[in-house]
Parts: sequence; C-alpha cells; structure tokens
Amino acid sequence: MLRSMLTSMLTVFPSKIKTRNYSNTIIIAITNSPQPVRRNASTEYMLLQQQHNPTSAYVHLPFCRKRCHYCDFPIVALGLSSPHGDEDEDEDDPRIVNYIDYLCREIKATSVPSNYNKSPMETVFFGGGTPSLVPPRLVSLVLETLDAKFGVCTDAEISIEMDPGTFDVEKLKDLMNLGVNRVSLGVQAFQEELLKSCGRAHGVREIHEAIDIVGSCGVENWSVDLISSLPHQKSHMWEESLSLTIQAKPTHVSVYDLQVEQDTKFGSLYTAGEFPLPCENQSADFYRMASEMLRDAGYEHYEISSYCKSGYQCKHNYTYWINKPFYAFGLGSASYLNGLRFSRPRKLKDYKDYVQNLENGLVNCFQDSKVDAQDIAMDVVMLSLRTARGLDMKSFGKAFGSSTILSVCEVYKPHIESGHVVCLDEQRREIAAEEFSSLLSEGNKINEVLAYIRLSDPDGFLLSNELISLAFNVLAP
Amino acid sequence: MSSFRRALRSKLSLFSSISTSISHPIATTRPLSSLLPYSQNASFCSRPRQNNKEGSTIDLNQYPSDNIRNFSIIAHVDHGKSTLADRLLELTGTIRKGHGQPQYLDKLQVERERGITVKAQTATMFHRHKFLGSDTNFLLNLIDTPGHVDFSYEVSRSLAACQGALLVVDAAQGVQAQTVANFYLAFESNLAIIPVINKIDQPTADPDRVKAQLKSMFDLDPSDALLTSAKTGHGLEQVLPAVIDRIPPPPGRSTSPLRMLLLDSYYDEYKGVICHVAIVDGALHKGDKICSAATGQSYEVSDVGIMHPELVTTGILLAGQVGYIVSGMRSTKEARVGDTLHHTRTVIHPLPGFKPAKHMVFSGLYPADGSDFEALNHAIERLTCNDASVSVTKESSTALGLGFRCGFLGLLHMDVFHQRLEQEHGAHVISTVPTVPYIFEYSNGSKLQVQNPAALPSNPKYQLVACREPTVIATIIIPSDYVGPVITLCAERRGEQLEYSFIDSQRAFMKYRMPLREIVVDFYNELKSITSGYASFDYEDSEYQASDLVKLDILLNGQPVDAMATIVHKSKALRVGRELVEKLKKFIDRQMFEIIIQAAIGSKVIARETLSAMRKNVLAKCYGGDVTRKRKLLEKQKEGKKRMKRVGSVDIPQEAFHELLKVS
Repeated sequence: MLRSMLTSMLTVFPSKIKTRNYSNTIIIAITNSPQPVRRNASTEYMLLQQQHNPTSAYVHLPFCRKRCHYCDFPIVALGLSSPHGDEDEDEDDPRIVNYIDYLCREIKATSVPSNYNKSPMETVFFGGGTPSLVPPRLVSLVLETLDAKFGVCTDAEISIEMDPGTFDVEKLKDLMNLGVNRVSLGVQAFQEELLKSCGRAHGVREIHEAIDIVGSCGVENWSVDLISSLPHQKSHMWEESLSLTIQAKPTHVSVYDLQVEQDTKFGSLYTAGEFPLPCENQSADFYRMASEMLRDAGYEHYEISSYCKSGYQCKHNYTYWINKPFYAFGLGSASYLNGLRFSRPRKLKDYKDYVQNLENGLVNCFQDSKVDAQDIAMDVVMLSLRTARGLDMKSFGKAFGSSTILSVCEVYKPHIESGHVVCLDEQRREIAAEEFSSLLSEGNKINEVLAYIRLSDPDGFLLSNELISLAFNVLAP
Repeated sequence: MSSFRRALRSKLSLFSSISTSISHPIATTRPLSSLLPYSQNASFCSRPRQNNKEGSTIDLNQYPSDNIRNFSIIAHVDHGKSTLADRLLELTGTIRKGHGQPQYLDKLQVERERGITVKAQTATMFHRHKFLGSDTNFLLNLIDTPGHVDFSYEVSRSLAACQGALLVVDAAQGVQAQTVANFYLAFESNLAIIPVINKIDQPTADPDRVKAQLKSMFDLDPSDALLTSAKTGHGLEQVLPAVIDRIPPPPGRSTSPLRMLLLDSYYDEYKGVICHVAIVDGALHKGDKICSAATGQSYEVSDVGIMHPELVTTGILLAGQVGYIVSGMRSTKEARVGDTLHHTRTVIHPLPGFKPAKHMVFSGLYPADGSDFEALNHAIERLTCNDASVSVTKESSTALGLGFRCGFLGLLHMDVFHQRLEQEHGAHVISTVPTVPYIFEYSNGSKLQVQNPAALPSNPKYQLVACREPTVIATIIIPSDYVGPVITLCAERRGEQLEYSFIDSQRAFMKYRMPLREIVVDFYNELKSITSGYASFDYEDSEYQASDLVKLDILLNGQPVDAMATIVHKSKALRVGRELVEKLKKFIDRQMFEIIIQAAIGSKVIARETLSAMRKNVLAKCYGGDVTRKRKLLEKQKEGKKRMKRVGSVDIPQEAFHELLKVS
C-alpha cells in the first residue's frame, strides 16, 4: 500500500522526489539557506494527508431569487417571479434543469485520482446560491449520480442550505426522503429593516415559518446562520437575533461577521468600520456577545464562526479545517485533491465549456503545478487555528521539523502572555504563560510537553488574522 | 523608436540642459540596449560625432584668444534661459532648428516644482561678425549655469571660466530673487553683464519697468538692455554682437606654460572619465602628459576637443578655449573640480581653486526594504559617480537597519538626489527628517558637529555650554500686497529682518537672516501658498549663530526611535513634539497591544498620545472554496508586516517616516 502510494507520489511530484534522491547541488542549496519549513519532511506529511481518501463532496447549486447586497458568490439570479419554483413538477425552471444536467455530467466525467482509493462519500454539502430553490427531483438526480460514481454512505451527513420562503413542508420532506439530514437555514437577522437593507428575499415572518417547518418535519440536525455587523445593526438587535436563535433550539449556529467585499453593492456603498456599519469596537462586541450568549445556552464554540450542541459539529465543514481532501462540483466550486486547490469557472458559460472539456479529457483538476511544503504548512496553520481544537503541534512538528515548532512558539510567546494564544498539553490542560516561557528557554523541553496551540475564545479568535499572519511570517519569511 | 529614445532621454539627461535640445545622431548609431544600463551617466554626448562635416575642418589655431568670448546666461527660473540658449545655438548653426526637445528640462517633475538646471554644460559656437572694421570669425563658449542657489558652487565654477554674462529677466515678472542672487555672483566675479529683457512678446510685458528695476537694484544702464523674445526671435540678432562687443576676450597668454582649470567631470561608459576644462594659459595637444596640481597624479591626454555641442575631437585646445579632455582617469573622484592641470615636468602657479562643496543639509537614506541595502549601496555609488557633491557615510539605525548619512548642498539638491535614486535606479528609500549641521559645545571643551540627531546624546555626560546653528541670508521678492503675511511667516521661522525695500511701486524686496533649519522642510511651499505663488525666494549661506537647541526624542512604548529624533529650537519643541506624536498616531496602525507615543526632551515627556489596541481582525467564513482567497489575504497581511519597520514590538509603516518629513 505504501509502495503504491509512493509510486503515485512520484507521478504527482516527480521533481520533488528527484530532488531528494539525485540532486546534490539542490540539497546543498537548501541546507545552506535557512529554511523555515523542512521541505524534505513534507513528503511525509503529504503521505499522512493523502492517506485520507476524499470522502466529502461539495455541490454548488447557484440559483437565487436575487443577489443579496453583501454577496460575491458565483450565483445565478432567477428573478422574484417564481417564489417556490417547484409547485408544479412540470414547470421546472429550464435554467435549473439545464444546470443540473451539466452538474451531473461533471460528476460523471470526474475520475478518482489514481493515488486515492475509491471510497464512498461520508459528507455531501449542497451549498449555494439557494439550494432550496432546486426541485427535490433534481437534487435527487445529483445524489444518484454521486452515488453511482463514488458511492454515498448510508449514514452520510447530507447538508443543504435553505432560505426562508423558498420551501414548504412537502419540499423538505421530499428532500429528507432523498437522504438529506442536515439543514442550514439562512436566517441572517431577525429584524425586518436589516433583512431589507441587505437585500434578502424574505422577511421575518418567513423565518418563523421556516423554523416551524424544520421543526414539524423533525429535522434533528439543523443550523441557523446569522450575520453580525450589518449596516445599522444595533447591539439590541443583535442580542434579539441571538436570543430568538437560541429559543429556536437549532443544534448548530453559524455566526458570520459581515465582510464587505469589493464588487458587491455593500462594497460600493460602505467602508468597513464606518457608519452605517458598526465601528471596529462595536463589531468586536457583537462577536463577544455571540460567544458569550451561545456558550451560556450550551453551545460549543468549535470554530471561529461556528457553534454547536455537543456532537453536532458540521462534519463536512470540519474536513476543510483539518485539511482533508474533498471533491467539489458545480459553478465556481473549489476542490482539494492531491494537495491542490482547484476552482471551477465562476461564469456559467465558462463552466459549461469546462464540463465539455472535462468530458473530452482536456482538463485535469489535479495536475501540473507543484505542491510546496510551505504552502501546506500555511494552510494547516491557517485552518486549524480557526478551530477550538487548535494546531496539533506533535504532528505538525513531525512533518515540518521541531525548529519550526520552536520559532512558532517564539513568535507566539508575547501573545500567550497576553492571553490571545493558549497552549495545551496532551491532556488538553492549559500550560500557563510562565511555565511555557521556562519550557521554551530549555529548548527541546517544549516539544515534549506542548501538544496543541489554539487561539483563545473570544480574544484570540477576534484577532485571528493578526495571529495567523504572524505564524506565516515564521513559515515563509 | 524615437519616442522610446525620448523617454529614455528624459531619464538620462536631467543634468544636461543644452544637449537635451539637440537631436542626437549617436543615439541612433549605438545599440539602444548598450545605453540602458548606464543611462544615468549624465550627458549622452559622449562620443566624437561620426561623419561630422565640420569635424575635420575645425582648426582652433584660427581662434586666438582675441577671437574668443566665454560667457554664460544667468536668470531666475522660467525667465527663458534655456530657450534663449536654444536660439543662440540655432542661430550659429550649432544645432538645427526644430530638432530635439525645447527646454526639455522644464518638463521634469523636479523642474516644475522647483525650477533648476543642476549641472553646468558648455557649448562651443562659431560666429562671423564685423569687428573693428573687418569680418572676423569668433569662437563663442556658452557656459550654461544652474540657476538654483543650492548649486551656487556650480555657478561660481562656471562663472570662473567666463568673462561675461547675459542677465536674463522676464519682461513681465521683472527682477526676482534668483536674478538678484545670480547678479551678485556674476558681479563678484567681475564679469561684464549684459542685461537681456526677455519675453517682450507677452501682453503684460513692461520692459520700462524692468529697466527701472535693473537701474535701481543693480545700477545697470537702461540703455544697455537688449529687448528680446526668444519665442518669436525678436531682437535675438543683437545678442551675439553684444557678447562680442561688450565682453572682453579671455586674458590668458598662449605662450605661457599650460594651465587649465578643471570645470566638471562625468563618467562615460566607453571613454571613462570625461573632464570639462578651460585653458587659461598655454596650449594642450592630444598625447600631452598632464599632471594634477592637487594630487600630483599624471595622465596622458588620449582625446581632446570641444563640445559642439556633442564632443568633437580637435586634437588641440588653446588659451582661452573651453573643451573636454579624456585622460584615462578611472573615477570622477580623481577629477577634482577646481583643480589646476598642467604639463608634467613644468612648474606652474596653481590657479585659485573653487569653493569646495559645503554640505548644508543631511539626511539618512535607508532601503525601504531592509534587505535591499546592497542595491541601495550600488545605486548611491553609481549616482555619486556623476554627482561628487554629495557626501556619503554609512550609518545604522535600530529602526531602519543599515543605511547612509548623506550630505547635500541644499534641499533641492537632496530632492534631486532622491528623485534620481528612485527614477533612475529604482531604489525605494526611506529618508529621515533632514537636519542641518549643528555644533554643540560641552563644559569639558569638546565640540560636537551633529549631522544626525540620533548621534546627539539625550542625556550628555558634560554640561552643554553652547549650541550653534547655521543660518542663511534669504532674499524674498513679493508683490507688495503680501508683505504682511510674509513678515509673519519669517518671524515664525525665527527670521531677523535685514533689509526691506521696494523695487518699484508693486514689488517689495526683503532680506532675512534665518536659521537654515527653518527653511529646510517646507518654508518655500508655505511661502508660495501664502503669496498665491507670486513670491520668489533664494538664499545663500551665512554664519553660525548661537541658539537654544534641544534634542527631541520620539518614544514608542518607552523605546526611543533613533531615526525619528530631531533637533529643534526650544521655543518650538512643544509644538513640533505634539505634531509629530499626532502624525504618528494617525499613521501607525492599531496593533494587538496598546501603543504609547511620546515626544521627550531628555527624560521629560512633552507630548503623549495613546493608540488603543486592535479589537478585531478576523475573517468570518472560511470554507472549502474560500481557503485560497483567505490565505492570499493573510499572506498580504503578512507581507504588509514585513514591509514595516520594527521598534521594540511596535510595527511602524513606512508612510509614518514619510509623513514625519512634513513636520517642520
């Protein structure tokens, strides 16, 4: 097994392996210049990584009634005329039917990379767009295609994003009958004026209806998605949104801090931190409020913007944060296979051409460009520091060298003292700042004791960009 | 091709005002690529002209010193000096009309902002003129001078080779500050002065008023003034006859042993060092062995000729003539401007040298990215090859790393140097606040000349007994409506009024003694803005004066930032301190901890601001499709940090250093 994997590695990274075995000059060059990340150790890490066969698939269903003012996702706006779209089975929107056709063709034309074994999907995530606008009949087609191609586990987590006002009991029941078992409800806010100002296609009434529908259909695992720092959002509004969410008792809550993206309506209207957007301090307070209220209500803050009741982490999203490979299908979606992230075209026409080319064998989404150990190290740090579990220093050290661990520790030292960064031992007991300092001064001692580094909640999470880019400085100076 | 050449030329010819107006035949015969790497080497007129019609016919023996006139054109900026020079070159057939870029220099940014010719440039012209009853051929050397006072050492160097000067005054604007300064330089050099009232074609021209000004300011006879328009050509025909009739021939003796004055030098990629020389006595031939009076070093003259205006080999130069020599010098440092060159094995009395360059403004130059030190070092070396007037010493700063302390002749010189570093050598530099050379005296009798404020101890061991600062005599000419605000401004800048008079009913003339420090940063801009751009300003160095000076330290979380230290007059310390601290608060980004910004004199804090800690910097979502994008964002953030300068644990963006330059 290992041998076969190595041979496949050779085909993917021929230059790298050659470097290790044959080219003395290059090895000298590497050892002479200070290398923050042990490049030749990375292959080992790659092996560890690639031992996981991809068992997750993201499926992009880009249709929305209209574009929200903050959104820069690849979507297709259908217009407001067809609120439910699927009341009459015969009147499926031809744009959707056509897209699903291409989507299924893409799935069929995708091959399992040679170094992976074919494993059935453990998670499937229908994201959007507004996937709930797609008639269940067509969702079923996608699932069947996936099943035929890779297999889908019987107990797979199958999530779908749904917007209030786009589904009824019947539709949700149909979806559940297809195996969909997790609903992510795009609520965003509980205030009419806020929903309006961010261009949502639904009101507060639809939110309550949707929550009722989810309850009456008996969906056990479901999430409420909220956005904080919306324009004109006041502290009491945010508090109200959080308490109404808690009252609805979802198993999962996602809290996004609004990002003002360039090519959006918000981008042209507003500047982050400036009126009518909340200032930096206020928006930090919103984050703290969410962290406190949700924790008090029994939710775990398991990732920067994700909370859940015990055992209800989103398995699909977790594959992202632990840097596991995954498939992706559909407009603008990004897959991660063989250490390579590949984004599909964001324009419908280009995407269709892409599918055509894929079928004709002209595209290979895990080809050419070489994977760099440094890149992997940065991905691992960036993603795992988003989680409450944090960065697993033992395996990170194994892959990238204990000197890397030491420099990461060195750069985080002042932030451990300030409480933004938390060090944990094997039993996840916190290592106090003074103890950490003395262990660090003894060099290798720290490697023995330190098992995890995580960002504190909420202070460290709030400054995660700063803290992660500090680590980047060490990994890729 | 030609537009590319033009673009190239705009980069390489900052220092050659006459030659830029000439279509240059050599640039087309030389592969362009060979020009590029050394394009900064000032003049591109570095090779003998090929296929030159006249080259073989020029016989300098026909021009005894009686038939030679050496003159320069002096003027306030924009009064038409360059255009007049262009016309004279055209009139004598030295360049062809309509070729090349007229007044190319004035299009450069630094020119527009300040207005200057930086480097002297010479052109030899031939002109036939009825003189003492017979048609005679004359050899005329036009020695162009920089207009700005920063380069007055260049001016005096050029004037030393002249016997006369055309004093060009704009017919509408009248006498301006640089007119005054340049007049006195020429006057002190005993030059024959021919007033030229130019731009008389303008609707607002008032030559009579200008004549009256010339009379009252300089005691120049109104009837001597020539009225011209270099633009329309009006009156130009009188100029060269006036030069020949009114300016005396050079006084040298052709029979005496050779003495020549080294006027200037630059480095040419192909020929090595090219020296501009004025033959005072005797004659120079190709192949002669010559010797430097200053260094004793001897050289063999491998090429000798005139600037016509490109280099034209003549094989000889005779007394009174001005030309170039190539002598195998390896670096312009061997070519000491003002040096006397003579034949080896002859004993001569050296000519009086020029004023050596005096460095009045100092600033630290650091690579914007610390790792670029070698690149900056290289760029500075290359640039000083052609501008020996900059002094350069290595220095280091805890905040900025390794860099250089550079001494400049003045502000403009500093600006030009910075600009050339960036434009011609692609160097990105952080410059520290310019300072002037102060003198601090201590009770143990020691004296400290301070070129870098950081080098001045904040808490000295011995008691300070005196501090002295350099001053300048500033000349300001303004429309009389603006007298009030200008007096206020000068008083704010600790100026002492020396003279206040009226040139005529509309223009006031003022002289001030001012501390150099006060005009170093933004005086001229301020003056222009309060006078709607009508003020003209010039200054010359004056003595040191006793002054109550203090060192102002900037501290970030208690740590002094050496590169931000500055020396100020005690009366201004509080205001400057507050301003600096406020600026820093604005330009330093919030960080993960609180930052206390202080200004202090010794251990006494005089201004303080607190920058609160950053509250939030988080990317909410990060799913599969976002990973690449988010990582790019974070990497950008990381790169941003890398570009910052770090003092203690505080990151300082480069803009903060740039902004501090603007605080006076």
